Amino acid sequence: MIAFENVTMRYAKGDPLALQEVDVEIGRGEFVFVVGASGSGKSTLMRLIILEHEATEGRVLVAGHDLSRLPARRIPALRRQIGIVFQDFRLLSGKTVYQNVAYVLQVLGKRRHTIKQLVPETLELVGLQDKAKRLPHELSGGEQQRVAIARAMVNKPPILLADEPTGNLDPTTSTEIVAILERINRTGTTVVMATHDTSIVNTFRKRVVQLRDGRIVRDQAGGEYEAIEVEGVAAR
Amino acid sequence: MKPGFLAGEVGNGLRRNTAMVISVVLVTMVSLFFLGMGLLAQRQVDTLQGYWYDKVQVSIFLCTEDTAEVASCAGGGVTEAQREQLASDLDGLRPLVQEYWYESNEEAYQRFREQFRNSPVLDNVPREAIPESYRVQLSDPTKYEVVASAFQGAPGVESVEDQREVVDKLFTFLNAVSLAAVALAGAMVICAVLLISTTIRLTAWSRRRETTIMRMVGASAFTIHLPFIVETLLATVVGAALSVGLLWAMVHYGIAGFLTELLAGQGGMIGLIGTSDLWLVAPFLVGGAVLLAIVTSWLALIRHVRV
Repeated sequence: MIAFENVTMRYAKGDPLALQEVDVEIGRGEFVFVVGASGSGKSTLMRLIILEHEATEGRVLVAGHDLSRLPARRIPALRRQIGIVFQDFRLLSGKTVYQNVAYVLQVLGKRRHTIKQLVPETLELVGLQDKAKRLPHELSGGEQQRVAIARAMVNKPPILLADEPTGNLDPTTSTEIVAILERINRTGTTVVMATHDTSIVNTFRKRVVQLRDGRIVRDQAGGEYEAIEVEGVAAR
Repeated sequence: MKPGFLAGEVGNGLRRNTAMVISVVLVTMVSLFFLGMGLLAQRQVDTLQGYWYDKVQVSIFLCTEDTAEVASCAGGGVTEAQREQLASDLDGLRPLVQEYWYESNEEAYQRFREQFRNSPVLDNVPREAIPESYRVQLSDPTKYEVVASAFQGAPGVESVEDQREVVDKLFTFLNAVSLAAVALAGAMVICAVLLISTTIRLTAWSRRRETTIMRMVGASAFTIHLPFIVETLLATVVGAALSVGLLWAMVHYGIAGFLTELLAGQGGMIGLIGTSDLWLVAPFLVGGAVLLAIVTSWLALIRHVRV
């Protein structure tokens, strides 16, 4: 579903490499934690997948598209295959929960009856069917993040990217959020979650891809976060 | 994007940036008002010049039934024999007379109606009062006097006129007005372009979260840009409509109303522009505003809104 082939990324001439010779393949329906300290290259990896930036060297393949050859007019089509969740939720403050989720479908020009059907369905998926009329500021952080997940999933993309989705949340709420992502993953959606939340990674025991200074230093199925310190580079 | 949703987005944008939108409307209005004034001054020049202005230097007006007080017209209207004599005299003046045309009473009346279409004097002038004429083109326009002295006072000739001498001064004035108006319009258009660009930049900032979401969920560049363009279009079209309104008031009350009465009161006969001329100019003003809005906002969007 997603493949990095020897990818190197440098944002500007003279900058240090954000990613170095990254080779990784994520299959359809997988759940992957991308871990690493701040500045290790997690967010760069995510940005390359949605083609916010183009890789300096190597190839990135997403949902059958070779991103280095994708013409600009096809980028929107690529992004429609990917749902994204951010650490800071990025909800529209003047719109209700329902309107925030419906916004995506309206932007994409979906019919009204499709919107009426999909939005409640998706709100139910994240357990917010009763709070459809609330405004974002009336919700807790966890609830806001669930709205953001609903918004990312309402168009039923095959890939879901979550960039530090629990970064602003307490541990209990964080676990709830990742449980929702896991539920979404079970329906066949490929989930890639960048995080440095140790307990989350240890609790859910998914595939762990660890980055350090832009290099993959570990790629382990059912891995723990702590393994970083114990196994280090040798684990790869 | 469905029209209803687009309307909602545009409405939000306009509400958030009311002050900037109003300034775009006003700047567009003023710039197009000046542009319109320049174009109308040009139309006034065209109206005054009439059909023969660019073709001939001398007009020999022949006698009509109404010109008996002129000595050379004592016999009433010009006769067939006099007309033929004048033609052969003109032929005798070749090669100074390069070419000449005979304009019948009927043709002259039609041209008069066209030139004075906006003037109330039109209804008071009977067809017979419009003289037939010979329109003469000279090989050397400075030798006007030669022709004038040859035909002034000849039987059947009411008068010989070098129309240019009188109207050229007026044209110089009108052309200066036109030029000044267009120059001011140019400066104002630059203001409009800069203001639209700044407005879009501000709107883009206040709507950055929406555009980020649009981009992330795979909206096309066109979809992301459309609300901005529609907002700018609305503001400039309203500005254009207001400028046309102002120009209409100027032409209707100022020129067609006040000036025409003033001139008629002094016995002056000048063909003036009217609101019909404005309706010919207005589509260019509105079209220009639309073009300005689309091009400027598109360029500003490429710079300020990432897609």
